[in-house]
Amino acid sequence: MAQEDSGRGLSRRSFVKLAAAVAGAALPLGWQQALAEEGVLKIVHLTLNPDWSPLRGGGSHYNWQSLIWASPMYFDPEGNIHPYLFTSWQPNEDWTVWTFDIHPDAVFSDGTPITAAHVKGSWELNARPSTRNQRIDLVLSSVAGFSDVHTGGARELSGVRIVNDKQIEVTLEGPDPIFDLKIANQLAPIVKVEDVVDENGDAKEEWWQPANGLVVSGPFRPTLVDMTTGQVEYEPNPLFFGPAPALTRVELMPIEDTVVAVAALQKGEFDAHTELRVPNLIEQLGEEFASGPEIPKGQHFWLSTRTAPTDDPKVREALILAIDREGLKTVTIGDGPSKKAEQVLNAVSGVDPDFEPYPFDPERARQLLAESSYGAPENLPSLMMVGISAPEFEAAAQYIAEQWRQNLGIDSVQMKPQIDAYSGPDQGNVQIFRDDVATRVPDAVVYLMASIHSQSSNAQNKMGGYRNEKVDALLEEASMLPPSDPRRDELAREAQRLFRNDYVFIPWYHEVVPKSAMPRVHNFGRSLDLNVSEPWKITVGG
Amino acid sequence: MLLFVARRVLVWIPSLLLILFVVYALAFYGAGDPIKLIFLKAPGDVAYNEARIEAVREAAGLDRPFIAQFASYVGNLLQGDWGNSLITGQPVWRTIAAAAPVSGQLGLATIILTTLIAIPLGVIAALNQNGKLDYITLGAALAVGAIPPYVVGPILMVSLILLLPPGSIPYGWGGIFDVRVILPLLVLCMAPVSIIVRQTRAAVIEVMNDDFIRTARAKGLPERIVVLRHMMRPVLTPVVTQLGIIMISLVNGAIFVELVFGLPGLGRLAVQSTVDNDYPVILAVTLIGAALVMLSNLVVDLAYPLLDPRAHAARSDR
Amino acid sequence: MTAVVEEDVSLVRDAWRRLRANRLAVVGLCYIVLLVVVAVAGPWISPYDFLSQDVTMRSAPPSLVHWMGTDQLGRDVLSRVIYGARTALIVAVVVTGISLAIGIVLGAIAGYVGGRLDAFIMWLTDVTMSVPSLLLVIVINTSLKPPLQRWLDELFLATKNPIFRDTMWLDFVLVFGAMTLILWPPYARLVRGQILSIRNRNYVTAARALGLPARTIVRRYIVLNAIGPVIVAVSAGLGAAMVLESAFSFLGIGVTLPTPSWGNMISDGLRVWRNAPHLLAAPAIVLGLATIAFSFLGDGLNDALNPRQKHR
Repeated sequence: MAQEDSGRGLSRRSFVKLAAAVAGAALPLGWQQALAEEGVLKIVHLTLNPDWSPLRGGGSHYNWQSLIWASPMYFDPEGNIHPYLFTSWQPNEDWTVWTFDIHPDAVFSDGTPITAAHVKGSWELNARPSTRNQRIDLVLSSVAGFSDVHTGGARELSGVRIVNDKQIEVTLEGPDPIFDLKIANQLAPIVKVEDVVDENGDAKEEWWQPANGLVVSGPFRPTLVDMTTGQVEYEPNPLFFGPAPALTRVELMPIEDTVVAVAALQKGEFDAHTELRVPNLIEQLGEEFASGPEIPKGQHFWLSTRTAPTDDPKVREALILAIDREGLKTVTIGDGPSKKAEQVLNAVSGVDPDFEPYPFDPERARQLLAESSYGAPENLPSLMMVGISAPEFEAAAQYIAEQWRQNLGIDSVQMKPQIDAYSGPDQGNVQIFRDDVATRVPDAVVYLMASIHSQSSNAQNKMGGYRNEKVDALLEEASMLPPSDPRRDELAREAQRLFRNDYVFIPWYHEVVPKSAMPRVHNFGRSLDLNVSEPWKITVGG
Repeated sequence: MLLFVARRVLVWIPSLLLILFVVYALAFYGAGDPIKLIFLKAPGDVAYNEARIEAVREAAGLDRPFIAQFASYVGNLLQGDWGNSLITGQPVWRTIAAAAPVSGQLGLATIILTTLIAIPLGVIAALNQNGKLDYITLGAALAVGAIPPYVVGPILMVSLILLLPPGSIPYGWGGIFDVRVILPLLVLCMAPVSIIVRQTRAAVIEVMNDDFIRTARAKGLPERIVVLRHMMRPVLTPVVTQLGIIMISLVNGAIFVELVFGLPGLGRLAVQSTVDNDYPVILAVTLIGAALVMLSNLVVDLAYPLLDPRAHAARSDR
Repeated sequence: MTAVVEEDVSLVRDAWRRLRANRLAVVGLCYIVLLVVVAVAGPWISPYDFLSQDVTMRSAPPSLVHWMGTDQLGRDVLSRVIYGARTALIVAVVVTGISLAIGIVLGAIAGYVGGRLDAFIMWLTDVTMSVPSLLLVIVINTSLKPPLQRWLDELFLATKNPIFRDTMWLDFVLVFGAMTLILWPPYARLVRGQILSIRNRNYVTAARALGLPARTIVRRYIVLNAIGPVIVAVSAGLGAAMVLESAFSFLGIGVTLPTPSWGNMISDGLRVWRNAPHLLAAPAIVLGLATIAFSFLGDGLNDALNPRQKHR
């Protein structure tokens, strides 16, 4: 049929195409874009992002860095490390000098080979305060010369040495046996520095806009970053030095209202979401959407040791013991993929199987309150909880407050909901902070350093300057040991047990990194870095 | 006339200055240090470094006394520099310039739509006073005005998503003539339409029994001409005076509608900046909102005597 | 003199008669009275404590045990709606009352004294009315709450007086304060306008010529004639204050969790309305009806007190 017609100009195929075009044109403009297509991944984004710079070490767009940037190494969803931009790495005997080899074929999307100079320049750029990379400390803090750049105004990382185009040598301040684990993420991407920085060495404004000649290193590259509507589009990077990606396009569109986002996903208009926090996620979008590998991340409530009345350890213990955390689990995470937590550590080898969980003991709690310096619930100043910024947090906070009301007779608990965002400890009397602690390095010591060591932001801000010198000492000692040494995890566990007896936190739950994509999306496994591990493998449909 | 306008515009300066001062003071003394807040909001694994915070604060000029900061803010404002967002580092005017046209177009469209829908409805209701049509229209207007916009918006939106065929999410901004704007406009119009229908109806009723109308009728003129020629002017008057109130309800309603329907306008910007304690943006948005309302009041005052010559003398006695 | 007194009484009775004839207004009035009764009697008639959670019965639809169902934490919705009525009415009444008081004082001064003071007060109303109110309230709330909170806590620790500890009323005070800041100008202008127009009316001039004391003039003529529009404005104002309060608590300012307010119940309900529609329906309907009721009442009062309309 087609052959017969082709001579006469309007074959059946082209007629169908014409009809489709007419129908498509007749469809109202905005609606056309959202028709489902095979090979295209459509993602609902959280919010209208004003800043798409990959150098922030976080932000709502962080989850999609791996689409366009090749990290030095990457973790797979099971927690195994893989070479990527760096093909091999080698520490010296005392863990103070690391040598990395760069992939011989690694190039940017404009063909420029990625060299050691790019690596050094990018690390320096990321370390500068003007770049505002939130988490650069987690990556490069052990490198010699880091603090000079980070707080001192120096331009160069003295500990990083270019051996040749494809090899780089890093000297550390002290032994760090897990330095390799610390760089296996998207926190400090390697960029084409000479295009990115201005004459002062700072990143140019909006250098990450495709219109400004952005070059990337990953399987895709951005073709559209619209700041008004928030829409972003990626297409395959033809010069990517890894396997060619299976997708033909990736589109992001922001939908801030979660109810609408859920409806859109259910309808099939979109395939994935950046980070969806709604109650009943499993009911609404299915188990596959909501599940994933457990990652070293937990949501808990932290008690300030500086503000009354939680500065009294008996009060803290009373508050913790008075909560039925089974009920807390039912009301908040239900039977979902997240797991109820008893200790800080999870999803790392150092998890403590003998950790003694906090019991639910309202009798003892009342007794402790009576023994405390306040004596009775009426004498306690009002308790304030902050960080209550999402529906599940509200539910948890209200549940906990009610437990305290019923079991301890405390009736003055305040919680800060959406707009009334946050009040830091130096701004008043907040005693209870809901916050998460996590690590991008699958190691118990790093996890605890970020959560209970007195130098961590968590200890300083959420626990009101909590400081247990023994805990600090144990963690510091452990951090010198290689991962293969069982003492490393042992010391971590001991530190955590000491921390338990200080009664400074209310354990809540441990998180999984949800797939956050519908079942028709395949090979979408995410790692503890929250990014898709192998984005070139993603397929949609079928 | 020109003098009148000039005098009014001159009064704007102290007004805006006062508003600016109050909001600035509130944000400065109450909301807390925005730089510290940025660091405090960061998740637990981000390091807390006092030295770094101090360095950033100094760079942003946040360690100077209040008056110094306020004065330099106003000074910069007069030169066209609205400051940079504390969160993104981008110049504020650019963020505003991106968001303002969206809200502006929405506002204009709402006013036009409201006028087109509400005035005829109000007239019809008045002409059928106490009849069935009157009760229905009045009832509908009241019901529509009673439902908060933040309830209707999401419900309508989600219902539409689920009921309509694929490829049709009424979300996001595609320009004022894009089909996706229908739903948000509908929701935005609800409150103003409700008010104007009732106002128009009341005004028409009041005027209908006035002497000059009776004279016109006694003269034997057809009803239609009576309505059109004699009633329109006094009818439009209360509507125009309501414009100020409509503007205010628009500005407030816009916040909810923009959030729910994903329109990147000033309302959404306002909410976002208050959550982030981004005071340069908060200040800028407040100023613009206030200036808009003052402008519409000025327009109303200028239009008033055109509509109702009797009001000309009473202008000073608002 | 008796003739004048009779006139007073029959004016009020006349208005009341007209109001009663207006069916819609009566319906509105009844609903509002019902709300008031429920609000006042709240603690005694609520079937459950509005805070207590029953973890076994979460998000239950309306049933004989829970007439309006339960929310995600197992709390009885009806009890929370009743408590929400208290919140709504307290806020509406107090805010309108204070705004009215401020408005009357300032409006009267502006009307009587005139001149520069009048111009200044009018300028103040202009400025206040121009600011986007929602924004202003949000800013006020986020700025003033932490330092006030701190101050209250210090007071508590110093005096151990439980009044300072129960900071729920701080929410109320901040909301009231912010709202009165926005709502007083219309009252001031109204009062000023009335005073200006009445002051020069013939009967006042006549009374003055007759030598009646100023106090009597004010009471008998000015207040009675001015009060009509003010009553209408108050009725509309109460409705507006209620809606405004719900908008604020919807955004998370003012009345905060776990204290129920129709606004924050609506905001919670919106998140789950597809699975548990009763959580949205209950507060939304109650609030909507209240708004309509105030509208009916306001229109009815307007018709009753300003009888210019005649039926065709």
